[in-house]
Amino acid sequence: MYLLAQANAWADIPVGEHLFYFSPLIALVCTMLAIVACPIILGRGARTAAVVASLGVVATFVLALRVAGAVGDGGVSGLSTWIGGGILIADNLSVCFQIILMLFVAGVMWLWWLGSAEQERNAPEFFILLLGSALGMALMVSTVNLLMIVVAFEAASLPSYAFVGFDKRDRLGAEASLKYMVFGAICAAIMLYGASLLYGLVGSLSVVDVANYTVRHLAGGQAPILLWIALICFLSGIAFKISAVPFHFWCPDAFEGAKIEVTTWLSVVSKAAGLLLLARLATVFCTAVDYPVEMTLVRPLAWTIGIMAAITCTFGNFSAYKQQSVKRLLAYSSIAHAGYMLMAVAVFIHPSVEGHEAGLTALLVYVIIYMFMNLGAFGVTALVAWDTGSDKIESFTGLGRRAPWLAVPMIICLMSLVGIPPLAGFIGKWWILVALGSLHDTVGVQGWFSLSTLGWFLIIVAVLNTLFSLYYYLRVVVEMALKDEGQPRVRVPLGGAVLVNLCALALLGLFVLANPLKSTADRFSRDIFQATATLPAEPDSIASATDETD
Amino acid sequence: MLTIGLTHYLLVAAVLFCSGIFTMMTKRNAIGILIGVELVLNSAGVNLVAFDRYLGPGRVDGQIMALFVIVLAAAEAALAVGICINLYKNLATVDVDTAATLRG
Repeated sequence: MYLLAQANAWADIPVGEHLFYFSPLIALVCTMLAIVACPIILGRGARTAAVVASLGVVATFVLALRVAGAVGDGGVSGLSTWIGGGILIADNLSVCFQIILMLFVAGVMWLWWLGSAEQERNAPEFFILLLGSALGMALMVSTVNLLMIVVAFEAASLPSYAFVGFDKRDRLGAEASLKYMVFGAICAAIMLYGASLLYGLVGSLSVVDVANYTVRHLAGGQAPILLWIALICFLSGIAFKISAVPFHFWCPDAFEGAKIEVTTWLSVVSKAAGLLLLARLATVFCTAVDYPVEMTLVRPLAWTIGIMAAITCTFGNFSAYKQQSVKRLLAYSSIAHAGYMLMAVAVFIHPSVEGHEAGLTALLVYVIIYMFMNLGAFGVTALVAWDTGSDKIESFTGLGRRAPWLAVPMIICLMSLVGIPPLAGFIGKWWILVALGSLHDTVGVQGWFSLSTLGWFLIIVAVLNTLFSLYYYLRVVVEMALKDEGQPRVRVPLGGAVLVNLCALALLGLFVLANPLKSTADRFSRDIFQATATLPAEPDSIASATDETD
Repeated sequence: MLTIGLTHYLLVAAVLFCSGIFTMMTKRNAIGILIGVELVLNSAGVNLVAFDRYLGPGRVDGQIMALFVIVLAAAEAALAVGICINLYKNLATVDVDTAATLRG
């Protein structure tokens, strides 16, 4: 294929070794094929599909760990291989995300096995959709090519739409999937239009070239207005994935209408994939900046992302405050957390300070911690909802007596979501705040719109939001711990209690292991920045041939 | 004499894009909104092919991407119609305003 053949960079790399770096993705595809083939040979049993899927997930996980080792040892500091100028990349960021993804897939499958496996008649389809969206998300994080980003975006989104409406007799699910799909299709179409304009302006599909083009034109003092339109169109798609305000409308509805396993799945990884893709693009842009464009490019970008983060965060928290359904409350809380994570992205768009990797470190750490917090909180909500038939806040009344093995991990997860020490959520938030504090300008006068103002503004917003969020998380805790209306005990399957308590233990453990976690993430983000700086630009990109279009 | 150049193709694409956006904004019927989405996708396709033709010889990236756009549009349409049928079975409507049990 032409796009592959274009890559002169890998002419001297043996193909076998090359494929090794992408073996987790290949294993994921093979698992999906096996799940398709399995009903023909072995029947449509839930158990068969689950066994095949688990084997595939374990294989992918092991392969991702091996690739992580190889990428870490690579003499080329992080970036080990790329195809076609960044169509596929295997580096610390992508491999790290694949490992997180597989852990989370395992958690969601565990939850599904406890709650839905018995009456499930479409188990193979469930796993196809789950692994299909996982594959799309993994691809989103391992590319810097516009075409591949769009394809991966759709590969992650299309299964998610169907996933939300998975239960065909459920009216809420049908409505939620329609809303999600309509909104997603609109954003994807606009994103694609933006990508086509970028291709026309830059003459190449590589984001590296887009970044170079932008920086060069800004340094020359004349960026075509079309470039900004194209960039905004393109980024709106990513904002949809992150559910950043004003692209958040789908989020609460889709989360409430979907089955709770699906909600758990979407609440963490679809946002994480979007954020890490944005992180990847931001690193490309900021390593391209070696011209004096701090005033014209970095400040507006950082301010835009920062303001968006502040609004997203505040909106999520204020909407969560009056919710009666714990599932919906957690959905809004996930919007708020997307806001906190977006703040970290605003930091490392800044290129020339030595501390700019701090933002990426904070983002990576936060994503890992956030996965455990949400899996635990949604897990408890699912277990309570399955037993009592409702996820309203009233069904949590007196949970401390009715099911102490659920109440304790729920309290730990919620307090970690607030960010109270000694829980892992605290260190996640802390490092975002530290990174924000390190924001400062390198050139130009200090003024109202300087980057240090932005940093302090975001710190204040984050702290105020944390204080505010304490209120609605505490509402659930008070309901569980202090009230009791003598409801019957909750029957908890052993596996469910183990799952949520493992999550709670992980949150305590990650707090203890904060320093090793931080130093690993530091090394990763340093590698990622170095590797991104060496991404090759396409030789034949023509940057200035489209002056007649603006 | 008027020669057809890149600008004309881009204008057609821009008109397609705007009518697609307009359709999405005004239609309340899910199928109508999807038609708007298809218009926008096709405008991207026209852009890509036109850029390939006029930006220099031997470029195929845009054409390959246009092929992908067609495939994506087909996949999205298939899934979207499936979801619409599912909604119709449950609620007997595909109007996005009537389907408002969830308070988004």
